[in-house]
Amino acid sequence: MRSSLVIFRREFAAYFNSPIAYIFIIAFLVLNAGLFMTGFFLNGAADLRAFFGNLPFFLIFFIPAVSMRLWAEDKRLGTFELLMTLPMRTADVMLGKYLAALAFYLVALAGTLTLPIMVGALGNPDHGAIASGYLGAILLGALYLGIGTFTSGLMRDQISAVILGIMSCFLLFILGIPAVAATIDGWVPGLGSLLQNYLGLSGHYEMMLRGVVGAADLAYFLGLTAVFLVLNALWLEGRKY
Amino acid sequence: MIEVSGLSKSFGTMKALDDVSFRIGRGEILGFLGPNGAGKSTTMKIITTFLAPDGGTVKVDGIDVLEQPLEVRRRIGYLPENVPLYLDMNIHEYLGFVGSARGLEGARLRERLDWCVEACGLRTEYRKNIGELSKGYRQRTGLAQALIHDPDILILDEPTSGLDPLQILGIRELIRSLAGSKTIIFSTHILQEVSPVTDRVVIINEGRIIADGTVGDLSRGAMGSNRVYVGARADAAAVEAALRSLPAISELRPLPAADGCRFEARAPFSEDLVGAVERLARGGGWQLTELHEAPYSLEDTFIALTRRARGLKEVA
Repeated sequence: MRSSLVIFRREFAAYFNSPIAYIFIIAFLVLNAGLFMTGFFLNGAADLRAFFGNLPFFLIFFIPAVSMRLWAEDKRLGTFELLMTLPMRTADVMLGKYLAALAFYLVALAGTLTLPIMVGALGNPDHGAIASGYLGAILLGALYLGIGTFTSGLMRDQISAVILGIMSCFLLFILGIPAVAATIDGWVPGLGSLLQNYLGLSGHYEMMLRGVVGAADLAYFLGLTAVFLVLNALWLEGRKY
Repeated sequence: MIEVSGLSKSFGTMKALDDVSFRIGRGEILGFLGPNGAGKSTTMKIITTFLAPDGGTVKVDGIDVLEQPLEVRRRIGYLPENVPLYLDMNIHEYLGFVGSARGLEGARLRERLDWCVEACGLRTEYRKNIGELSKGYRQRTGLAQALIHDPDILILDEPTSGLDPLQILGIRELIRSLAGSKTIIFSTHILQEVSPVTDRVVIINEGRIIADGTVGDLSRGAMGSNRVYVGARADAAAVEAALRSLPAISELRPLPAADGCRFEARAPFSEDLVGAVERLARGGGWQLTELHEAPYSLEDTFIALTRRARGLKEVA
């Protein structure tokens, strides 16, 4: 645990050592708030459904860009060899890096808290739905980050890592869309619905938007995140052979 | 201290290491020599547990690198060939990070930071971002990183590559000052770097160990015969005839000389050629202007050994 903390501190500081962090956060806030506000006055409803609804698609691009440097940069700098010869387990190094990226995402997400404050001042929103919406946003980010960390570990180059990450997140995203599932069902009966139920994320995520936090949805996000993190550690261990 | 036995490693179809074995005792310094791509780095990466071998074992302090890699890593300070530096950190932050990652904290960490900064001459650049440092300072920062936890074993992959002569001298002195208290393996493809630091060398070529011993032993083994230069103020033909009469001399080559004559003679290492020539000169009444053995440089040895290894391979 102490090992992970050392790695976490260095990685978290690394985000803020470069101007990219601030550009990221500002872009994240401006785009999200902007997209939300364009519809807000037209709808005239005091809720954040539109904001949370945009996230699964928006984060497909944002999250892999946050996680792309995690391993790929170390491979380029040669520090990967340093990390892999420190007296700590690969899983501890990975966890430190992953949590640093997650913390960075949470900082960006915390910036959007102005929206519920504003909505609360203008109307009478459902606070439960907002809270579960934020829980969903955290879990969604955690899952995408797990995927992005994994693809960063596969690649030596950050651009390849971000593209592979975007494609992987996108795949998870479209598998959850009913129209896509129906199309796949048309090719291989049953396959589309199966994939939609087990892998597609929209169904699980939308439950939380409505204020329902189910065990199955929690298990989906946490379980799939864990799968990608374990794959990441195994891949990095396997590279030795 | 470090025992490497029967190591083999392939990358795809390329055989990087083939039955590599050698050992180093506590407090020894070993020069690991070989042309680029011979397998030096791969061997070091296996010892430091960065890579796993396909076959063979490495034991560090009796601990197998595959069974307890973390125990092995604790004992080793490692400077990889591509110096692993975070360019966005300054030296203080970077060494602090590596120190904490190696389990140092508080007063002990500060003490080690001070020592490393002093020993590696980093004081003046201490608060500069590593990205702004010159190649020499980067190399020294890498070395400081390897020393931060005061390891018993140092593995240095090309520690002097890309440095200017003065900086090379500095690194050499640092390595020498650590001699005795630490076991050190350092690799290089520049032969002149080995002799001033250590006598013990292992030479690797195309993934195989082709020599292991002291510089003297190796040249004796590789070259087969001793070289003696003889110069005299006397009739060249007479001197040559007299030298040829010595049974010990296996090869005699006249050399151009400004004054009198000059020869290069070869004889087995077991023969006292200098003494024999001296007696001959006294008997013949020539005035000797030159009489000395010419020890082989590491270059000569290295070239002879790699050539021989290549020859053997072609025959096979």
